[in-house]
Amino acid sequence: MKIAHWRRARQVIQALALVFFLGLAVYSWRSLRSPSPAGIPLRLDPLAALAAMLAERRWLTAFIPALVLVAASILLGRFWCGWLCPLGTLIDWISPRHLAGTEPAPSSRWRSVKYALLFVTLFAALWGNLTLLFLDPLTIFLRSVSTLLLPALNWLITQAEITLYRVVFLRGALEALDALLRSALLSYKQPYYGGAVLFVLFLGGILALGLIVRRAWCRYLCPLGGMIAFVSKASWLKRRVSDSCVSCGACARHCPMGTIDADKGYASDSGECTLCLDCAPVCPKGAISFGGDWRVDRGWSYDPSRRQALGALGASLAGLALLKLNPRAHHPDPHRLRPPGAKEESLLSSCIRCGACLHVCPTHGLQPSLTQTGLEGLGTPLLVPRLGHCEYSCTACGNTCPTGAIPRLSQPEKLEHPIGKAYIDPKICIPWSGRGDCIVCEEMCPLPQKAIFLRETSFTDNIGEVRTFLAPIVLHERCIGCGLCESKCPVNGEAAIRVVVDPMS
Amino acid sequence: MKVVTRRVFLRGMMILGAGAAIAACAPKSVVVPTQEPKPASLTKIAEAPTSVPASASPEPAATGTPIQPSATPVVKARTPSPAPAGAAYLAVARGTSPAEITMRAIAAIGGIERFVKKGYDVIVKPNICNANNGPEYASTTNPEVVATLVKLALGAGAKRVRVMDYPFAGSGQAAYARSGIEEAVKAAGGEMELMAAMKFADTKIPVGQDIKSWPVYQPILEADLVINVPIAKDHGIARLTLAGKNLMGTVENRPGIHRNLGQRIADIASLVKPQLTIIDAVRMLMANGPTGGNLNDVKQANTVIASHDIVAADAYATTLFGLRPEDISYVAASAKMGLGTMDLKSIKIEEPDV
Repeated sequence: MKIAHWRRARQVIQALALVFFLGLAVYSWRSLRSPSPAGIPLRLDPLAALAAMLAERRWLTAFIPALVLVAASILLGRFWCGWLCPLGTLIDWISPRHLAGTEPAPSSRWRSVKYALLFVTLFAALWGNLTLLFLDPLTIFLRSVSTLLLPALNWLITQAEITLYRVVFLRGALEALDALLRSALLSYKQPYYGGAVLFVLFLGGILALGLIVRRAWCRYLCPLGGMIAFVSKASWLKRRVSDSCVSCGACARHCPMGTIDADKGYASDSGECTLCLDCAPVCPKGAISFGGDWRVDRGWSYDPSRRQALGALGASLAGLALLKLNPRAHHPDPHRLRPPGAKEESLLSSCIRCGACLHVCPTHGLQPSLTQTGLEGLGTPLLVPRLGHCEYSCTACGNTCPTGAIPRLSQPEKLEHPIGKAYIDPKICIPWSGRGDCIVCEEMCPLPQKAIFLRETSFTDNIGEVRTFLAPIVLHERCIGCGLCESKCPVNGEAAIRVVVDPMS
Repeated sequence: MKVVTRRVFLRGMMILGAGAAIAACAPKSVVVPTQEPKPASLTKIAEAPTSVPASASPEPAATGTPIQPSATPVVKARTPSPAPAGAAYLAVARGTSPAEITMRAIAAIGGIERFVKKGYDVIVKPNICNANNGPEYASTTNPEVVATLVKLALGAGAKRVRVMDYPFAGSGQAAYARSGIEEAVKAAGGEMELMAAMKFADTKIPVGQDIKSWPVYQPILEADLVINVPIAKDHGIARLTLAGKNLMGTVENRPGIHRNLGQRIADIASLVKPQLTIIDAVRMLMANGPTGGNLNDVKQANTVIASHDIVAADAYATTLFGLRPEDISYVAASAKMGLGTMDLKSIKIEEPDV
């Protein structure tokens, strides 16, 4: 097979891999299938794997696929970035072709930023902090799909259906379409995610960088790219340029990573080359080939150095101190509800911020934390019952979590791990405030022995009339904090019954 | 190949969009055209040999029921079908086979042919309130009872039988599967329909006492026949979830119904008017309803109640719990509105044992 054919194969594999990652995300959304495969791509991620193991100080078997990826990278270099990474493929597709050779060339020293991010991430992980995994491309991808792409699609299609349904002759077709989409793809209720705008700006920023400099994210910033680059310095498969090179510079112009250096005889850094093979077919002399070579690729100005590692160590400590000075840590938000079984103390050092749990939550009540848990908890899961309760029969989040930050519980075990406790605000509760009967919370409580009971309560109003209502009372020893009562409470705005972190625990 | 330029494409899109906009701007007429098939099907009933009165009068006069005509003529021409001579007003069948007693109860009130005509579009509305428990917990309608209704309707020539409910927690998909109803209905040849947001529309309730309009699932109003098949169970404020309460699964904004629940349920019933009510009391949930989850709260009663009169069916069901019809606010409110009778002494009740 000629190199041009291999290049074609790479393009096909890139598209297939993107379809695979996207398809898996769509397939696993809102956990229609159990067990949900949403967390599987994350297990390929060596950065998440190493960081989680450092932070948790234990071996995580779930990440064996990541080891395979590292081993493959020792052989094949940064093939992940060029052939498989879904974010890389999106960046490739969005970069205009005419950029080749005309783009501004920022100093190659910027490439060291990704190593710096890698080192800071790993040192921080050593101190038990995983906040920077927010920047991992696989977490960015899944987060963007589950909080932006699918909810937006769901909203647009549903609104279009509602509008078009008024056209009588379209109804048959719409019904068939809805039956198909609703069972396979869309959600029975519209998801809403706080921070979606932030995430779209973030993803948009990464893609927009690719409009200025091809693969700018991959060259300069991506911490996973940095990790694979580090390994790939010693990779076996390397790009070679033969003596027939006439220094025309075509290969350097076409290299999306900009790693082909005219000053070094058009050689490239095996830590930067993604084996995309764009260079070989454009060489008029056929001087470019790929072959085995175990030498370590050193001598590039931006190579990771001891000084950089020490700097990262200092930066990680300084950053950690800054995050820990957040007053929220000592004065926590009582509505900071975590998924069933997740412990606040250990969650921050075991959650890799991948968002697989939010992705599979069928009620869309699990939300990425933005400010509620400080910057340190950015992207960790919170249950917001007003947006969606914890479904009684569901254990999807724990079964999907790749690190065990949310423990894998059976449904009966889940009931033993209360998320919080429901409290009634009598100032706005309809019967407690004397405004009529209601009891929706009692009706909704899904426990076989309901945690809410109704007590006849009467009071005499200002004209001497006795009013009697059935008023709800929470039995806290039974309540599991699922939040279905809060989600369905009919008062406007915040519910009159709210789940808070158990104040007595 | 002809190249479609951006300009041509945009022009096409504009024409299409304008057409769609114009078509979509014919709004409230939506309810009107869908009613057109209804008078036609009514005439069919009138012509059918089994029907006793040839007039289109809404009362099933043959049995001399105390149903009074509504104060104002109802927009919906959906009325209980006239009963053949000798048929009971209400039937209560008891026996160990849910399918058998369902069939016997229906036979006693005039047979399925009284309700289903050839080519009918039928909707069966069971109670599938959530995905928490299987049928043995008696929080969702017995799958065998539902499947029997599907089979009977198809056997009587129905063109299509859809089964649906709008669970109050979790997705319809999960609840349909967990309840066992999906499997039973599919095996019987019926379809499960996931209730879609687009099919809810604000609908006027002409005789509504407390609410004058509410978002209602349109296919429920458009179907030729709606069979309401609740399970008899305990409920906090309503005390019992029966046929009237089960109609809450046909509307949106359910928390809002809870303010003045009894009258609002009666108002919804005045609009939806299911022509046939089957109350599943094969298993009854006696406490911790309507959600259930505790087998100790389940009572095996092996009973099915059938009537064209939703109020009478509910009134009878209250007695299974040792209550009186007037204890249940929506039963009393519905009777007061003339939607049926809760005076069990005034009607002919047949109680076959199978």
